[in-house]
Amino acid sequence: MMFSHLEYTPKDIVFGFSKKPLRYGVGLEVGNGLVVPEIKYFPKVEKSVMEEYRHITEQVLKKAVALGTECLQLETELTYMEMEDKKLVADLISMQKSMIERYAKEYGLHVGYRVTVADIRDFGKPRHDEESFSRMMDVFELVSSNGADVLSIESEGGKELFNYSIIRQDLTGIVASLGYLATFDMKRLWKNIVSIARNKSVLAGGDSACAFANTAMKIAGGLRDNMIPHSLASIVRVMSACRSLVAFEEGATGPGKDCAYENVYLKIITGYPMSMEGKSSAVAHSSLVGNIIAATCDLWSNEQVENIKLFGGYGPEVFLEILHYDTRLMNIAIANGLHYCLRDLMINSDKFSNPQAFVLSPDIVFEIAEVIVKEKDTLSRTVASGIKALELMHGNEKLNLSKGERRFIEMAKRKLEEIYSSPAQKVENALYQYEGKVEKLRVKDYLEA
Amino acid sequence: MSKEDLLDAIRDSIVNLDFDKSKEYTIKALEAGATPQEIILKSIAQGMEIVGKKFEESEYFLSELIVAGEIGKEITKILEPYLKGAEMKKIGKVVIGTVRGDLHDIGKNIVAMMLEAAEFKVIDLGADVPPEKFVEAVKNERPDIVGMSALLTVTMVEMKNVIEALREAGLRDSVKVIIGGAAVTEDYAKSIGADGYGANAVEGVRICKQWVTQK
Repeated sequence: MMFSHLEYTPKDIVFGFSKKPLRYGVGLEVGNGLVVPEIKYFPKVEKSVMEEYRHITEQVLKKAVALGTECLQLETELTYMEMEDKKLVADLISMQKSMIERYAKEYGLHVGYRVTVADIRDFGKPRHDEESFSRMMDVFELVSSNGADVLSIESEGGKELFNYSIIRQDLTGIVASLGYLATFDMKRLWKNIVSIARNKSVLAGGDSACAFANTAMKIAGGLRDNMIPHSLASIVRVMSACRSLVAFEEGATGPGKDCAYENVYLKIITGYPMSMEGKSSAVAHSSLVGNIIAATCDLWSNEQVENIKLFGGYGPEVFLEILHYDTRLMNIAIANGLHYCLRDLMINSDKFSNPQAFVLSPDIVFEIAEVIVKEKDTLSRTVASGIKALELMHGNEKLNLSKGERRFIEMAKRKLEEIYSSPAQKVENALYQYEGKVEKLRVKDYLEA
Repeated sequence: MSKEDLLDAIRDSIVNLDFDKSKEYTIKALEAGATPQEIILKSIAQGMEIVGKKFEESEYFLSELIVAGEIGKEITKILEPYLKGAEMKKIGKVVIGTVRGDLHDIGKNIVAMMLEAAEFKVIDLGADVPPEKFVEAVKNERPDIVGMSALLTVTMVEMKNVIEALREAGLRDSVKVIIGGAAVTEDYAKSIGADGYGANAVEGVRICKQWVTQK
């Protein structure tokens, strides 16, 4: 089902409130007037994986009790190596779940448990590595059976063309990657994930465009790095929203995955609760959107922290404490009726400082999301949303844009308008030319999957 | 347009990042009697120099430097039949790859493209490359430099294994080794016996150029 209207106005969208709250896990409710910390961790390599995860889970739950965190979510993101060992995955998930249940029972915690499955496919292999696709689906089944409450992935369909295109500022390639190839892949993938989630009575959480929009964000770097234009990273974020929306069109219900900064678009369009990350995820990667992205979150995450010893404790427990205080501030603002005030402070602190923050501001998101839902297919949505974002950036006098950024915006707008005149034809023609140049690109396998 | 005007037009099309015009003017310049060497020296080299300067002055982005390099390569392809088999001059050879267990290759790709734009011959081994593949490439290709990239802390340990494997194969002293990637630091580079560390693509290429010009 394609979403055709918006669930919020820019005035009413705010952190902690979702039009479609969710109840899951051990008594956890998300999107019903409370922002929940979501802690994610990464095992250090020296110890055995099980021992590492046991240590992480115990320290995080103990810290929650120590701080008085009543509600929280844990996220385990499986690595490529863990994906190879199904027994390990089953043991790991059930160990974490039983620990969660024990703490919940003893201390009255309300806990959700998200598991993110790694996209292990080699897109250069025939039929896009069917064997790995099957293994991924097996792992989704396995984690659902062993205790996961929410299923997520950062899928990478279209990534081979995206990687080629982003470092060349090649907008046709970027559009073809996000609006065409990734969309075909997302449809297939999420049809399967949603089916597993429904059979196992767990939530199909969503799919971050991490491999695309966060790659662009990472390459763009700091304000003066001049790697790629920040306005390019911004339109990649906006266009990625159209791609990530496909999971929800196929039946995902959220909560959306933390590193999908495009989630603010998904929240305004779908009404489902979303996890987000910003200043709290500086431990994993830098961004220029540290405060603004918190303005509309339902869960607040740290992205990922390695289980290393810091002065204040191990990484995961330290970051749970940071998330605890961030969310407590948001929740006390809600309790005192000051949440819109805090939201506006978060927005205004970043909005005009750079293009990447600008396109995450709810008023701007609203204007672009209106364009998205008016279009009838994902490819047209991808192109039209990019054009709208460029228009809004170019026309805003308060937005801090360098000469190079302005030059790029004008060029990009011309290019996207040219594609918009007949998107399917332009993209399909271009795709077969890319096939000879882009390593591992197998266009037919997307269409036939 | 005169031959000189056409050489300038090729240079300007590189600066304006215009693939189509650069090809059109290259063909016209050849028809007007320009030699491939003139096009390389007066158009491509000058165009790249201007783009490089604009990048240094923060007017252009790194991605535009890469696009300009790609245009230069495309023009060179047009010139190849006119060079009568003469080898295009390269300043050095680099074997590059993302180490075993790591599939993140975008940073490595940027460095590879910038090295090519800087007139290096680049042997790109791809991502998830085991030590033995690096060793084999060094044996066969006899490069000046080996470049390795890793995004993750769990995979960067492989860089040490590659250096060890080169040492065991008696090849370590024949090459300079440079490493980079999000997880890597200068201290780590020193600790595993790498010769250099590139904090970003620009710095990595600068170090490689320095090494080959000092030879």
